[in-house]
Amino acid sequence: MSSPSTIKSLPASGAEEPAITIRNITKMFKRHKSHEGILALHDVSLDIGKNKFVSLVGPSGCGKTTLLRMLNGLIRPDEGEILVNGQPPAPGPHMGFVFQSFRLLPWRTVHENVAYPLQLNGMDKAEIHERVMRYLDMVGLRKFAESYPTELSGGMKQRVALARALVAEPDILLMDEPFAALDAQTREFMQFELMKIWHQRKAVVVFVTHSVDEAVLLSDEIVMLRPRPGQVSEILTVDLPHPRWDYDARARPEFVELRRHLWESIKEMVAADPQSEFFNREGKTERSAAED
Amino acid sequence: MSISGGAHPLPQRRPHWGPRLSHVNINVWRLLAFLIFLVVWWATAKLVGQNFVPTPWQTWQAAVQTIGDGTVPKAAWASIQVYISGFVLAALFAIPFGLLMGGFRVFGSTMEIYVDALAATPRVSFIPLIIVFLGLGYEAKIVVVFLGAVMPILINTYAGVLNSDGELIEMARSAGASESQIFRTIMLPGALPYIIAGLRVGASLALINTVVAELYTAVQGLGGLLSIYGNTFRMAPYFVVVFCLSIMGVTVMQSLKVVERRMARWRYNSDRS
Repeated sequence: MSSPSTIKSLPASGAEEPAITIRNITKMFKRHKSHEGILALHDVSLDIGKNKFVSLVGPSGCGKTTLLRMLNGLIRPDEGEILVNGQPPAPGPHMGFVFQSFRLLPWRTVHENVAYPLQLNGMDKAEIHERVMRYLDMVGLRKFAESYPTELSGGMKQRVALARALVAEPDILLMDEPFAALDAQTREFMQFELMKIWHQRKAVVVFVTHSVDEAVLLSDEIVMLRPRPGQVSEILTVDLPHPRWDYDARARPEFVELRRHLWESIKEMVAADPQSEFFNREGKTERSAAED
Repeated sequence: MSISGGAHPLPQRRPHWGPRLSHVNINVWRLLAFLIFLVVWWATAKLVGQNFVPTPWQTWQAAVQTIGDGTVPKAAWASIQVYISGFVLAALFAIPFGLLMGGFRVFGSTMEIYVDALAATPRVSFIPLIIVFLGLGYEAKIVVVFLGAVMPILINTYAGVLNSDGELIEMARSAGASESQIFRTIMLPGALPYIIAGLRVGASLALINTVVAELYTAVQGLGGLLSIYGNTFRMAPYFVVVFCLSIMGVTVMQSLKVVERRMARWRYNSDRS
């Protein structure tokens, strides 16, 4: 696919070592009945710099979530290598994970939920309490420490999950469509909340989203993936100045242009994907047919 | 999973007839229902003859007499001992066994069909065998109660572990939890409502089996009294024993409900959920 060369750029890695290196990884998912596998990711390489906010976007089936799980070490690539701070990835408190479906333990209070990762490591009680309260403060939920998750709204639940991901002070935060289950207004507030927290406490953030708007608003870099097989299609740098809650970032021409470009590319990919339910629904069929 | 959710108000509006539940004093209605029950009982006694069904008043007199002379309390104490021992032993065996089956999948799958087979066999059929091995005494009765209660507790515990939330397990794994930590912090608390539901079913089966054991082995306890009064057509004290058993069952069920509410506070703490 010949991508438009307007905004294409390489990751802005200076002399500094990247925090995450992904080299030529390939992952095949085998279906149980038929023996043919699905190539979720094919020959993907990517560098993510220290304290960068990077979004992974792309149509369904492009392997965004698979890539995120590999960064956490929950699944391993069939081929290729991933290094996180020079080590192969392994799950643990040095990496925070925020899921779309909050995944709070319903039988634990907010306080106990946030304490969970620390308890796994056998930290002493006083220190756990101090840390939990600090992070509950950060997400504005100190007053709800003794509430149960069923008593909270969706946005509050996700803030608890965010506090839980941050409480072990990870230098990498992995987020899998964290705001997708929230209503539009809560979602916007959560985006600003996340920006502020990230400025307070820098970390590498790898953020998977379906929303190009969200990706542009939050990220330093946007990695666009292409489906079947999942491959890096384009890497874009977002040059909007930080902090972005101080001004109406969405009104900036750079923002509008980036979002338009991302959206057009994704639309094209979806319309050209025979597995997609929107295959050939976009009127750009001649071009994509010619490319096959 | 259907665990009776207690009395918290449902947000949905259901179609309703008559006055709203929240607008009446339910205890007044309950008392009214009891009075109607007494009247129907009394009318039945008059109709079929007091040799078959005693009147409420005759039953009351029999209660005063059999409780006063110590017959019923003594029998009830014997029954309670059998009942509680058998039930507690069943819980002590079934919960760890169910957890093991759920934790070690090969073990669970191996045992599953045998557990199902045993659960499907009428446990009464083991009574002659138990009598051969253990005689007619206390031990034999406890084993009958144990066998009656053990299966629902075991099966529910196993199901509870198997039904643990895969998403929560993945969350724990990504936080660096070991397999045993996942079992302790995710699977075990997740299985708790199932275990308690199993205990409730087990408790009612244990009571049934207490009476069965007392009828089939050495005639003793409340079951023994049932047999004696029934065979001699002394229907008034017979009814006293029936009510006594019913009170025992209700007491145990209610205390398990209290335990359930204590242990699963988060279920009942929600206004919205």
